[in-house]
Amino acid sequence: MANVKFDHITVRYGSHTVLQDFSLDVESGKIVCLVGPSGCGKTTLVRALLGLNKPETGVITVGERCLFDAKKHVNVPAEKRNIGIVFQDYAVWPHMTVLENVSYPLKKQRRPKEEIRERVMHALEQVHMTEYARHLPNQLSGGQQQRVAIARALVVDSDVLVMDEPITNLDAKLREEMLLEIRMIQKRLNATILYITHDQQSALQLCDKMAIMQQDGTLCQYGTDEEIILHPANRFTFEFIGVSNFIPLRQAGSGLALDCGELIPYTGEVPPQAENGGFDLGVRPNDIVFDPASPLKARVDSRVFLGSEYNYFLSLGQKQIRVQQSMLDARTRGVAKEGETVGISFLNTRFYPTQKGEQTP
Amino acid sequence: MKNYDGVSAELAAVDGRKRLNMDKVMTAVCFVLLLIIVVIPIVMIIFNAFFNEGRLELGTFVTQVTDGKNLDAMWNTLKIALGATVLGTVMGVFYAWLLGRSDIPAKGLMRALFNIPYMFPPFLGAMAWDMMFNGRSGYINKFLRTLLGLKTMPININSVWGIIFVEVSYYFPFVFMQVVSALERMDPTLEESARIAGARQRQVIWKITLPLVKPAISAGALLILTTSLAHFGVPAILGYARGIYTLPTRIYAVIYNSGGSFDGIRQGAALSVMLVVVVSLALILQNRILSAGSYDIIKGKSMRPTLIKLRGARVPLLVLAILTLVLIVIVPLVMIVLISFLKAYGLPLEFKNFTLDQYRTVFASNGTIDAIKNSLFVSITAGIICMFLGTLVAYVVQKIRPKGKGALEVISMLPYAIPGTVLSIGVILAWSGRIAGINLYNTIWIILVAYLARYLSFSMKTSSAALLQVHSSLEEAARVCGASHTESLKDITLPLIRPAMVSGFFLIFLPAMREVTTSILLYGPYTRTLGVQIYSLRDAGMIPQAAALATVAIGIIILLNTLVTRLTRDRKGV
Repeated sequence: MANVKFDHITVRYGSHTVLQDFSLDVESGKIVCLVGPSGCGKTTLVRALLGLNKPETGVITVGERCLFDAKKHVNVPAEKRNIGIVFQDYAVWPHMTVLENVSYPLKKQRRPKEEIRERVMHALEQVHMTEYARHLPNQLSGGQQQRVAIARALVVDSDVLVMDEPITNLDAKLREEMLLEIRMIQKRLNATILYITHDQQSALQLCDKMAIMQQDGTLCQYGTDEEIILHPANRFTFEFIGVSNFIPLRQAGSGLALDCGELIPYTGEVPPQAENGGFDLGVRPNDIVFDPASPLKARVDSRVFLGSEYNYFLSLGQKQIRVQQSMLDARTRGVAKEGETVGISFLNTRFYPTQKGEQTP
Repeated sequence: MKNYDGVSAELAAVDGRKRLNMDKVMTAVCFVLLLIIVVIPIVMIIFNAFFNEGRLELGTFVTQVTDGKNLDAMWNTLKIALGATVLGTVMGVFYAWLLGRSDIPAKGLMRALFNIPYMFPPFLGAMAWDMMFNGRSGYINKFLRTLLGLKTMPININSVWGIIFVEVSYYFPFVFMQVVSALERMDPTLEESARIAGARQRQVIWKITLPLVKPAISAGALLILTTSLAHFGVPAILGYARGIYTLPTRIYAVIYNSGGSFDGIRQGAALSVMLVVVVSLALILQNRILSAGSYDIIKGKSMRPTLIKLRGARVPLLVLAILTLVLIVIVPLVMIVLISFLKAYGLPLEFKNFTLDQYRTVFASNGTIDAIKNSLFVSITAGIICMFLGTLVAYVVQKIRPKGKGALEVISMLPYAIPGTVLSIGVILAWSGRIAGINLYNTIWIILVAYLARYLSFSMKTSSAALLQVHSSLEEAARVCGASHTESLKDITLPLIRPAMVSGFFLIFLPAMREVTTSILLYGPYTRTLGVQIYSLRDAGMIPQAAALATVAIGIIILLNTLVTRLTRDRKGV
């Protein structure tokens, strides 16, 4: 186990800059999820760590060991970096059996035969693939191939384990199982895992810490999942993690109003910089509650029961907003019917300057 | 506890630079080899066509290009190539549709049989047709003349149309094979949707099926066109004696008549430039008419298409298909075998005139055994070298992607568009002592060099396609698992493309075994190839002997083909 440190990394493909001065410190023995939209440079960063591309500037260190330093001309080749990787497209070698695939890294380390056998079987056990040891990859399903890739990454004691969207091709149940399994493996080995995904759900389930990357390749927040959900650093984080409603806030007469096609007076608390309007009010669906006493009225368009919660679409003026009602709330206050007009109030509001001419993703 | 103690970061950095160098070495090797094999011969042709002893001299070129005989030859070349392309394409598409999409019986067998004309060497076919329908002495011609009481021969195969007919017979499989596989891979729902939308069967064929396989048709037609423009064998056998020349046969005649003098070779070079211009124009024209679009609707996996019911036409169409096969495969084959047993050419085909002497003479002469040995040697050597070199070029182009990768690709594909005859002249000009004193003329090596240039693109194409299937993450995964660059090549990439490399070898070996176009200009007294030997025997008037050797050659080809099919089938079974 070791910490991973990216220090002012810049990567360019031709004239296109993917990462600019990117810095991130991944603590030792933690699962860190690198979350960001497709094309934000997550995979580029990982390839730089693996030694598969060459940054223009910066330093990459794993523990005490410097893997890359642009100034000192250090660039450890990929095969000597001792990092385990599960590729997005599995990269299981089709001409080798499962056993051969998983033992390959150990063979390259010239380990004794007995030890290789033992460790390979152990790795296969961890991913429940022992009975497929003699199979060729084309006899396996996508999910099984992915598990072979995971076993291959686990079989060596790597300083760091990198997983690039390793569970995307598994079905929901197996995904859950694999996430738990990864968690267990991490506990057992006390490994540092860098987990890359665009799927915030699995990220929330798995990680100790989350690093949120923005579309332009900058890191916008690094912290525990609670910090990120409860105290998003900016609008992007707020919007990207979880579902959110945004309603423009305008000055109307002496007070403020919500711009929902028609202006609806808003009397809630507002930070001082937003008092003159020009801000968007952001609120999570589960932070909107039904409150008959509230002056804010909305019509219920539809209601869907999702097992553990109700999902509503309400019309607030011309604008549609999303509301989630937990079972507990539904039991105590009752559910709203379609077509009904209800009072609502916002619990946890945030305010972000309105983006000009930009479409929110 | 970790095992990288020995490797300091600085040392590893040096290692990192070494890896970069291996890519560079591979790229450099590619460039140098392609320069020697492909670029030098081509440059030599252009240089010698326009320059003499280092000075610009357009006289030879102008005389050659404005010479009436040469212009006639060019005109013939164009007529034959266009005729063969149009008729061959129509025939190929028709039979592809019949076997790919209709409910004609015995489909599997028919598919296999329709690939035979592709293996059949066209110039042997031409020989057989000449025996039957020669304007003066063809056996069937004589028979028909007596039967119908005519004064002249009813059919004259020694004509432009005769040449077109024979070329169509053996070139239509180019289109047939391409289109059949496209039809099989086409998503059948595309046709079904059109039927559901209210189109009639006929409309579906014209408006949906054919436009969708247009890229395949186009690719096959291009293959017929370039092959026919560059082809030597058929026009040489059918037209030569009657003064019907095409550019390739004219080039041969010019060089042959000059006794291989340098002046003759220069004239040949001038004509070669002409031929290359014609081929280039044809390629441009073809591009205009059938601009190949790429459609994603043709899927890689095979699906079961709905078959069209022929109803009443089923039996007549089956008979037609069988008759076609009999006419273009069985009849010529039987003719060659029969003639090979004759005591002397021209004797009636009766049992009392039959003998095994021809075979005895053929095998008693050293020439035959040498020719078979030579052909085996150059074909196998060219196949092996091309297999590795083609894979190397493909790897550099696909995976290393150096700066000049476009140039590399173009250079390696260039000989594909350059006629074999032209290539031979370039090779003669380059390797007969004029560069660094290397003189390969009259040795087997000059044929080998020409074959390398000619067939390199074959293996490069197959290896390229295979490498595209090997996703770069497979090699990267090996690197991350602790394999060096060389080890990842050896453990991962090479084993994955090995089947493609082997099939690339056979793709070169089989046509090289029966090659005549290139070697006819390059052979020396002791370096005749099988094709050249048959051609010269026939040219010397020893037609039954030529037929006997041809029979042997066809036997060898059939044997090798069966062997290849066996081998490749076993490979798939694993």
